[in-house]
Amino acid sequence: MVDVTTFLDITVSGIGLGALYALIAMGFALIYKVTGVLNFAQGQIAMIGAYGVVFLGTGAVLSSPLPAFAALAATIALGIVLGIALERIVFRQFIGEPVLSVIIVTLALGGIFSGFIAFLFGRNFRAYPPELTFGSRIDLVAGATIQTAFAIAVLLALVVVAALMLFFRYTVTGSILRAAATDEQAAMVLGVSIERTIALAWTISIAITAIGGILLAMSSDGAGFSIEATGIIIFAAVVFGGLDSIPGAFIGAIVVGLLQEYGSFYFEGGTAIVDVGPGFGEILPLLFLLVVIVVKPYGLFGTERIERL
Amino acid sequence: MTTSERASTGGSASQQPPVVELDNVEIVYDRHFLAVQGVSMEVQESDIVALLGPNGAGKSTVLKMISGIGRSERGEVTRGSVSYKGEDVTNYGANEMVDRGITHILEGRRVFEDLTVEENLRCGLYRDGRRFRFDVEDYRIAFEYFPQLEEILDLKAGYASGGQQQMLVVARALIHRPELLLLDEPSLGLAPKLVRDIFETLVEINREEDITMIIADQNAKRTLEIADYGYVMENGQVELHDPAAELMEREEIKEFYLGTSGDESRYRDIRHYKIRKRWT
Ligand SMILES: Nc1ncnc2c1ncn2[C@@H]1O[C@H](COP(=O)(O)OP(=O)(O)O)[C@@H](O)[C@H]1O
Ligand SMILES: [Mg+2]
Repeated sequence: MVDVTTFLDITVSGIGLGALYALIAMGFALIYKVTGVLNFAQGQIAMIGAYGVVFLGTGAVLSSPLPAFAALAATIALGIVLGIALERIVFRQFIGEPVLSVIIVTLALGGIFSGFIAFLFGRNFRAYPPELTFGSRIDLVAGATIQTAFAIAVLLALVVVAALMLFFRYTVTGSILRAAATDEQAAMVLGVSIERTIALAWTISIAITAIGGILLAMSSDGAGFSIEATGIIIFAAVVFGGLDSIPGAFIGAIVVGLLQEYGSFYFEGGTAIVDVGPGFGEILPLLFLLVVIVVKPYGLFGTERIERL
Repeated sequence: MTTSERASTGGSASQQPPVVELDNVEIVYDRHFLAVQGVSMEVQESDIVALLGPNGAGKSTVLKMISGIGRSERGEVTRGSVSYKGEDVTNYGANEMVDRGITHILEGRRVFEDLTVEENLRCGLYRDGRRFRFDVEDYRIAFEYFPQLEEILDLKAGYASGGQQQMLVVARALIHRPELLLLDEPSLGLAPKLVRDIFETLVEINREEDITMIIADQNAKRTLEIADYGYVMENGQVELHDPAAELMEREEIKEFYLGTSGDESRYRDIRHYKIRKRWT
């Protein structure tokens, strides 16, 4: 029944999927940590990244699309530009406003983005250029294999995650971002510009979320509206990780990725041990979210105030 | 010039303008909560000035409007003026005052808890929202005065002891190379021995680095011991002010010392004493 090679296979792709979710989850946690805002447009921002490659690299909209890898690189660059632009045009206007208004703004933005994408491409799956889909598989240990596009996407995701961790841990700017997130006033009297810190947080967050969307689409050979749902799925990851913890968001994302893969393989369709029904793979992380909220409301790594007597 | 001479000369005798000058200042929070009223104050270059008074007297409010951080709490100077080295800086924001060389150590030992001690120190390297210098020399000043910190560089600041946290916030401010240092309740909640150590170090810093200081504290005795000049506040107003040495000799202050220092009812006695004195 449970065959070891298959189990390994699924575990590997679960971790891979988790690494992809991690970018979007970390983008979410970063913004929550620095500004207190829950960004409910994460799924749509990821989708903009995902469809960016379709826009630039296929004939869907443009009559002369860019070569596949140029389109990929250009979309990643555009993710960063999107981060800067959204901060300048939208989020900067709300500094000092109640957090709730900004949360509502993210909901509105999400609706706008998703409507815009539906208008341009319809709500259908759009395949990526063949150069980005490979179609081959790579052999792993013990007979397990992994799809090449998926492996490349996961590797890229891990590179971004590592860079982000190093940035927070080893650069002065990284320390400042974390400091401003813990105590805004204490940072201000040391000369930290809160406006600039918030701008940087939004830029990084939106950029890695868009990149996450691109890689997520690449791992499944194209962009689809299912990516919108990651906005909800990563919520499970982030709550599990403690909402304001960036390493926590990473670990939470891996757990959610694993749950989803196990769920859809062992509890759904022809391969199931117990067939619960179609779509259970995506439901499992959300069931898990409910359990986490009930059992450990501050998550695994959420800020526990250090009390001293 | 000795410290007492310098303090006794007052503002009028010196050539350059005082470092800080408050002229009949009124401070209001949230547009209608009146916290400070008619406060005038002068801080001379290189002095340590004590700002004393019970809880709620308005000490922190005065410091917050000098450093500008009070603006982020919806505080506003609604009457009078605040000047820094002769320049009118009334209602300037924190970033503008940081640029002018003012560092404010906020009440309550506000270390960044989930950052290590070293990462906390690094945060002293910012000015104008940008890193303004960064090399080993900048840390040396911190370890010179607080060698203990060097041993706990990798400790999460939240797990450091109260004394270590107090050292850390002072060290972090020093790395910032201020010209004026504002300290809010540096002795609060520390054991007497630690308070003595910290205050001794503050005097050293004041002498060696030539940093002007305003220290708001409820421990009047310790603070006046190291100060050149002192202001006693109550109910948002300045009740008494004098050179520290003279202030310590004043009857009402001596009377205050009779009780346990920091006891608020003792401050109320000052007022009664003043009223009594006016009538006799
Ligand atoms: N951010 C604030 N908003 C409104 N009122 C404040 C604020 N901070 C202090 N106050 C009020 O101003 C008065 C003076 O407080 P404060 O300056 O903190 O006194 P002290 O530092 O001498 O204990 C108090 O009545 C206090 O409640
Ligand atoms: Mg106070």
